[in-house]
Amino acid sequence: MSETVLEVQDIVKTYNQGLPNEIKVLKEVSMKINKGDFVSIVGPSGSGKTTLLDIIGCLMRPTSGGVFVDGVDVKELGDSELANIRGNKIGFVFQQYNLIQTITAQENVEIALRIMGKSKGDAKKRAKELLELVGLGKRLNNKPSQMSGGEQQRVAIARALANNPSIILGDEPTGNLDTKTGEKILNLLKKLNNENGYTIVVVSHDPNVTEYVDYTIHIRDGEIEKTTNGTTTNK
Amino acid sequence: MIDFAFKNITRQRTRTILTTLGIIIGIAAIVALGSISEGINQYITASLELSAGKIIIQQRGSGGFQGGFAGSDITDDDLEELGSIDGVKEIVPMNLYFSMGRGMSFGPGMVIAGIDPERSEFLVGENIEMHEGREMEGGETGVMMLGFVFAEQRDLGVGDYFELKDMEFEIIGILEKIENPNVDDSASVNIVDIQELMGVDTYQMAYVVPFDIRDAEAIAEEIENSYEKLSATTPVELARQVGEIITQIRLFTLGIGGIAAVVGGLGVLNTMIMAVLERRREIGVMKAIGATKRRILMQILTESAMISLIGGALGLAIGALVVFGIVLASGGQLPAQVTPGLAAGSMIFALMLGIVGGVYPSIKAANLDPVEALRYE
Ligand SMILES: Nc1ncnc2c1ncn2[C@@H]1O[C@H](COP(=O)(O)OP(=O)(O)O)[C@@H](O)[C@H]1O
Ligand SMILES: [Mg+2]
Repeated sequence: MSETVLEVQDIVKTYNQGLPNEIKVLKEVSMKINKGDFVSIVGPSGSGKTTLLDIIGCLMRPTSGGVFVDGVDVKELGDSELANIRGNKIGFVFQQYNLIQTITAQENVEIALRIMGKSKGDAKKRAKELLELVGLGKRLNNKPSQMSGGEQQRVAIARALANNPSIILGDEPTGNLDTKTGEKILNLLKKLNNENGYTIVVVSHDPNVTEYVDYTIHIRDGEIEKTTNGTTTNK
Repeated sequence: MIDFAFKNITRQRTRTILTTLGIIIGIAAIVALGSISEGINQYITASLELSAGKIIIQQRGSGGFQGGFAGSDITDDDLEELGSIDGVKEIVPMNLYFSMGRGMSFGPGMVIAGIDPERSEFLVGENIEMHEGREMEGGETGVMMLGFVFAEQRDLGVGDYFELKDMEFEIIGILEKIENPNVDDSASVNIVDIQELMGVDTYQMAYVVPFDIRDAEAIAEEIENSYEKLSATTPVELARQVGEIITQIRLFTLGIGGIAAVVGGLGVLNTMIMAVLERRREIGVMKAIGATKRRILMQILTESAMISLIGGALGLAIGALVVFGIVLASGGQLPAQVTPGLAAGSMIFALMLGIVGGVYPSIKAANLDPVEALRYE
C-alpha cells in the first residue's frame, strides 16, 4: 500500500578490504522505509549504525548490495548525481550538529538551499519559515556559539528540512544533549513526522528513542536482529 | 558564493592580511618598476630625438649622459681642435648647472642649461614656438628662457626674476608645451652666465655637428682615436647603451615579478591548504547537504582568487602611488605613468597567482571523503 521511500537490499560494507585489518561491518542488511514512517535503528556502539546510515544517506557506497532512494538505484549514479540526491532527497542531522560556526542560524539553513540552486531571496525566506517551524523564529541572527546545544540541533533540523527531502536521517541526534533537551528534540521530530508528514530515520544507542517511533530496527554486529513496534500510542 | 567566500577569507583575518600583503608587495613592485622603466624609456627616447645627427663630446671617464656629465672639463682649445676635423660643420658647447632649488626638499631639483643663445635649438629643438615672450638673442646675458612646465610648476612668468646663487636672471620667454620633458622642464641661459655662476671657463659637453649625418659614426670614431682626453658618442651608440639599460631594467622588473609570483603564490597556497584543513568538517557538511565536488572546488578557488584580486587591486593602487611620488620627486622630469595595459596586466597576473595557488587546495577539498571529514574531530 504505502509508497517505499527507501530500500536497501543485502548491503555489505567491509572496511579496509584486502588489508590485514579488514573488517566486515554490515552483513547483508536489507530493509524498507515507507513514506511517513518514523523509524529508529538501535544497537550497541560499534554495531554498524553510523555505517548503515551513511550508506542510506548516499555519503558512502556499500561494498555490495543495492540502495534505492525513491526507486532510484544509486549504484548507477555518478558522484555529482549522488550529491544531488543528498541535497534534494536526504536531510542529515548529526550528533555534533555540524553547523558552520561563523555564520548565523538563518545563513546555515540558507546555505543548504543555495547549494541546491535557490535564489538568495527565496533561500532567506524559506530559511526563516523553517526556523520558525522548529521554534527558533527569534534566533535567526544568532551564531551557533550563541546558542544552546538543543537550539543548535534545531537549526540542524531546519537545515535538513530545507530542500523538502524524502527522508530525514539522524545519527544520534540527541547524543550530545541532556535527557530533557533530547526529549524535546525527539518530540520535535515526532511533530514533524505527525503534522508535516516527514519520513524520519533516527539512529541511536539509547533505547529511549523507541518510545517515540512507529517501529525500531535492532542491529547487532552488523546484522538486523529484530524489528519491534514502538510503544507510542499516538500513531 | 561570492558573499560566502568573502566571509570565509575574513575568518582568519591576520593570515588573510599577511597573504594579501605578499600579493600587494609583489604587484606594487611590478607596477612601480614597470611604469618607471617605461618612463625612463620615454624620457631617454625623447632626449635622443633632440640629439639626432649630433655627436656628443665629453671628457673621458666623466659622469656621462646619465651622470649629468659631472667632472667633464672641455676647454676652448679642445673645441678649436675638434672644429678642424674634416666634415665637422660646427661645435656647440653646453654647460649644465644643477641646483637643488629653493623650497624643494626632495628630488634632483633642477637643471639650468647654458648654451649659446643663437644655438638654443640644440636644447629645445628646431621648431619651437613661444608661449609667452621671446627667445634669447645672441650675446644677451642675464636672461633666461623657460620650458612651459618648469615655469608653471614654479609659478613664473615673463618679467619675473629668477635667482641662482648670487646672480639674477630676467625671464624673457616661456616655450609652448610640447610634451617632451627635456624641453618642457628646461631652463636655459647664456653659457657665459653659467660659466660665471660655476666659476669656470670650460665646458661639460659639446655637440659636434657633421655636414653629413652619415659621417657621424666616422667622425666620432676619429675623435675617440685621436684625442685621449675626449670621448665621442653618437646617438646610435647612445641608443644602444640606453637600450641595454632599459633591457636590464625590464629584466630586473621581470625578476621581481617572478619572485613576487613565487612568494605570493606560495602564500596563497599555504593559506588555502590551512583553510581547507581547518574546514574539513565544514566541507564534509557541505557535501552531505548536496554540494558537488565542482561546487567545493569553485568555492575554494573563489576564495583564493578573491584574496589575490584584493591584493592585486591594493598593490596596483600602492604601485601607482609610488610612481606618482617618484614623478613628483623627479620634478615631473620622469614621465612615468601606469598605463591601462600595465594595470590590466598586473591584475590578470594577480588573479593568476590566486588561481595557481588555489588549484591544489581546492582539488584536495573537492576530493575530501565526507564520511572521513565528518568523523574527524
Ligand atoms: N573508516 C573506517 N575504517 C575502519 N573501520 C571503521 C571505519 N568506520 C567505522 N569502522 C568500524 O566499523 C564498526 C562500526 O562502526 P559504526 O558504523 O560507527 O558503528 P556505530 O555507529 O553503531 O557505533 C566499528 O567497529 C568501527 O570501528
Ligand atoms: Mg555511530
